[in-house]
Amino acid sequence: MPSMDAISRNLMLDSLKAYARKNISHDFVREKDQANEFPAGILKDMYDHSILGVHLLMVPEEYGGVSGGTYDIYRICETLAHIDLGIATAVFATFLGTDPLNVGGTEDQKKKWLQRIAKENLMVAYAATEADAGSDLVNLRTRAEHVLKNGALAGYRITGNKQWISNGGVADLYTVLALAPGGPSWFLVERNMEGFVPGKHEDKHGIRLSNTAGLSLDGVYVPKENLIGEVEGRGLLQAQAVFGYTRLMVAAFGLGAGWEAVEQAVRYSQQRIQAGGPLSDKQGYTHKLIVPHAVRLEAARAYIEETANRLDGGEHGLQTEGSIAKYSATEAGNRAAEDAIQALGGYGYTRDFPVEKIKRDIKITCIYEGTSEIMEMTIYRGRWQEHLKTRGRYYADIADRMDALHDRNPNVGARSAGLALRALAAVMEECRLQKLTRHQTVTFKLGRFIALAEQAYVFSEAAAKEKYSESVRFDVQAWQAMARIFARDAALAIAAEGPAMVLGASDGAGGLYSAVNMEEVQAAQKGMTADMDLVAAKLKQTFKAK
Amino acid sequence: MHIAVFVKQVPDTTEVKINMETGTLIRAGVPSIVNPYDHFALQAAMELKKAHGCRVTVISMGPPQARSVVQMGLALGADDGVLLSDMAFAGSDTWATSYALAKSVKKLGKVDLLLAGMQAIDGDTAQTGPGVAQQLGIPQVTFCEKIDVDGKKIIARRLIDGGHEIVEAKAPVLFTMIMPKDYVPRYPSFPDVHASLKKPFHVWSAEDIGAEKRYLGLKGSPTQVARIYPPPLREKAEMTSGTAQDAVEKILAVMRREHFIGE
Repeated sequence: MPSMDAISRNLMLDSLKAYARKNISHDFVREKDQANEFPAGILKDMYDHSILGVHLLMVPEEYGGVSGGTYDIYRICETLAHIDLGIATAVFATFLGTDPLNVGGTEDQKKKWLQRIAKENLMVAYAATEADAGSDLVNLRTRAEHVLKNGALAGYRITGNKQWISNGGVADLYTVLALAPGGPSWFLVERNMEGFVPGKHEDKHGIRLSNTAGLSLDGVYVPKENLIGEVEGRGLLQAQAVFGYTRLMVAAFGLGAGWEAVEQAVRYSQQRIQAGGPLSDKQGYTHKLIVPHAVRLEAARAYIEETANRLDGGEHGLQTEGSIAKYSATEAGNRAAEDAIQALGGYGYTRDFPVEKIKRDIKITCIYEGTSEIMEMTIYRGRWQEHLKTRGRYYADIADRMDALHDRNPNVGARSAGLALRALAAVMEECRLQKLTRHQTVTFKLGRFIALAEQAYVFSEAAAKEKYSESVRFDVQAWQAMARIFARDAALAIAAEGPAMVLGASDGAGGLYSAVNMEEVQAAQKGMTADMDLVAAKLKQTFKAK
Repeated sequence: MHIAVFVKQVPDTTEVKINMETGTLIRAGVPSIVNPYDHFALQAAMELKKAHGCRVTVISMGPPQARSVVQMGLALGADDGVLLSDMAFAGSDTWATSYALAKSVKKLGKVDLLLAGMQAIDGDTAQTGPGVAQQLGIPQVTFCEKIDVDGKKIIARRLIDGGHEIVEAKAPVLFTMIMPKDYVPRYPSFPDVHASLKKPFHVWSAEDIGAEKRYLGLKGSPTQVARIYPPPLREKAEMTSGTAQDAVEKILAVMRREHFIGE
């Protein structure tokens, strides 16, 4: 679905923020977090058509929804994550649970179920994971057996156990992945069906406001109309089809919660006076604990937005892009939250300040919807093919584009982004020549380098635009400084670690040392400290102490 | 009954920072909101609509992005939206703005009740609402916190020093609204926002409302802002509490301590 107009989207965001300001205080979430309690009343309000109706974003207009596009959903997810990641996850689970229907449902199924989700405010859960089946669903054990009536297929009997299902204990409707005779398939299971028993709410490290439970299905009978798409064996394809997009939502969670942590740290640093001045004026503090995180989060934002706009523009799949977005934003957010505790010192380590909870909550974003390691693998796989197909031109071409951008606008880090891309292309080529991708560790590291280089160029391009998107809270000066910092870091990481990685797995790095052009990468570091000073000052200006 | 509500898009002043060197507002990154007094006026209009089935038109004047506050009014339940947007309006002071708004009311035809916020939180003039009434030659009741309709009578509860007064008026009449203490602003839900896109929305230029350009914009404005500056910072204030007697004692003690008065 294409995105809605900016005014409508921002009115919705304003309503969500106003609701949270009034009803979801820090004390409230802290209490629920400690009690390990699902805030049922909040979720009820969020689904209430006269209060918010958040779940309607995922439902097309013709079925009673508001037809949100990817960009809209990214913005809402980011805002939810600022509020509380547990609540965000409860909403997300409904989005995710609705997806197989949106992607694979027949017209009749969409009409029936999407309308019910919209009208009856059904909370949905997405049930794929099992004890032996996580990212790898080959060992899926839940079975769906044919039930015949007068020799014809009437329905299915589903038996098996699911685990770590968000909304597992509280949902009204479940989309359950089970192995049918024709292969893995999605089924719609209602809470009240006989033989269906949700398990207890898990005691988790974080997102404790999100209900997570196992599901037990003991010969649950569903009519054949509840097989999504009404053709068996399409389950994995249907799940794959939306990864580009569902991973963007989790990326938005890393972005929102990560920024919340950084904002808390920036505000605190202006009040905390040590050694004669506020911490916010001390480079050793800001340039280590705050600025790098703000920069990485904004780089991830640029990448998320680019991917969201492409999906809204009608492109399909974008699995590699979705993975880069998720991997980068959630890892950046997780590190930002970790350092936000450090930035608040002893206060940060107590439950009186929100950063402690954010740190526990945000960790899940590096795990669910594909772990960071699965992301590294997926990113590598996707782009390795491009490298081979184009005989190494894939990144060299984008690097040429960056050089041209640098000539037009020398302020957006395009030169460094180009250096990062060329170094990456050289490292990949050396890996190909020496057949180093037989080492899994090499492939995962390549995944990381790819994510860095791609964000660098996407951020440079975004920072060069005449008008920034509505989500950017910084002026041109600040955002361009961030793009420069990120691109320099990316180039340095790839140029330094790439040859080291190759050497570690082989007898020699060949011509790689000169190919990564370390001399120029080093030269491009000029101005780094001044840029970080500028970003530190802008952060202070943007997030004033309260 | 036809109600017109005037709304203004303003920067969220709780988020506005002042550049101490130049004395100007730092507007970058500051969110725009519907003026809170106007927000209450919108809600008062919706209550009347609910109770009496009135038709509500929401009107704003501003740049194209001010459409946002009109759409918010529509999402909250207004029936029609009007945005006065034209370069000719740019830089209008309260007089020129009142003139343009009054012209737009005339174009709407019969309007019985006009509601405006008491003031906008950016300019704080409290002149535009009363100005519209003056331009239209209709009565006005200011500082209202509640409006009721009883047959042909319109009854307003109006705040005065030390209490309130009940004022009765006949249509057409303009009210400016304050914000009662217990007021909870209502925001539209997602489907309300979505539905608002299908409601009638008009953008009117100066020509559309038959406004004469010599009365509009910077040139048509009898007043002009010479300078904006932050008030000088005062030294720290000490607050006292307790009974009047206690407070007097405490204030006297401070005055003695600071040598404003002798022992």
